Amino acid sequence: MNPPVEHTDVAAYALGVLEPGDRAAFETHLASCARCRDELAALAPAAARLREERDARQDTT
Amino acid sequence: MTVPAVSRPVPSRPAVDADAVVAALYRDHGGTLLTFVLRLTGGDRPWAEDVVQETMIRAWRSAARLDPAASPMPWLATVARRIVIDDRRRRAVRPAESGDTPLEQFAAREAAQELDALLGRVVLDEALASLSAAHRSILTETVVRDRTVNQAAAALGIPVGTAKSRVYYALRALRAALEDRGWRSAG
Repeated sequence: MNPPVEHTDVAAYALGVLEPGDRAAFETHLASCARCRDELAALAPAAARLREERDARQDTT
Repeated sequence: MTVPAVSRPVPSRPAVDADAVVAALYRDHGGTLLTFVLRLTGGDRPWAEDVVQETMIRAWRSAARLDPAASPMPWLATVARRIVIDDRRRRAVRPAESGDTPLEQFAAREAAQELDALLGRVVLDEALASLSAAHRSILTETVVRDRTVNQAAAALGIPVGTAKSRVYYALRALRAALEDRGWRSAG
């Protein structure tokens, strides 16, 4: 049982930190929500930058 | 009548108070810049201190052009990096040696990429440091610790919905902070 999808889930989705069930629900929502698709495109580069840095620092420590 | 001492010629300076600008740069960014440059010089402290000093001299000359609203760190880091590269090049030039062999060019390219990565890290650290404590903490509890937003919410003792919306506003703030520091997404 997952709570309803919120538009603001887009950030947690971009960062890859949603629970698997929430992620699937958000992907379904994304298919029908242009606003979330636009926001995902806008937030994805910064999210990717943060994840890339996390991975780089994990490799070196 | 003798000419008053104050009327002696003064070297031409920018109109803004460059000394004050540079004093503020030293105070606010000198330590960060030295840490950054030490990584570029491989821990050579006297060299790093020379580079920081030269960077500040160039900042003093450019004070009128520095945007007081923007973080000067990317500008300082870029200038410092250029000085380190020039120093390396000068040290590498020796009369008996042939110069730019393919191996040296490869090494120089590698070094440039390494320096770009370092600069990127400085910009990200600065952007994260500029966020509110709540925004920085939610990004740490999720992305950096590799936890889902539900796990982070439990760890922080806050509702999942609150954690999710905090992640949302934190990521937006991070993007704005990165862009303020001259970061552009690669894509």
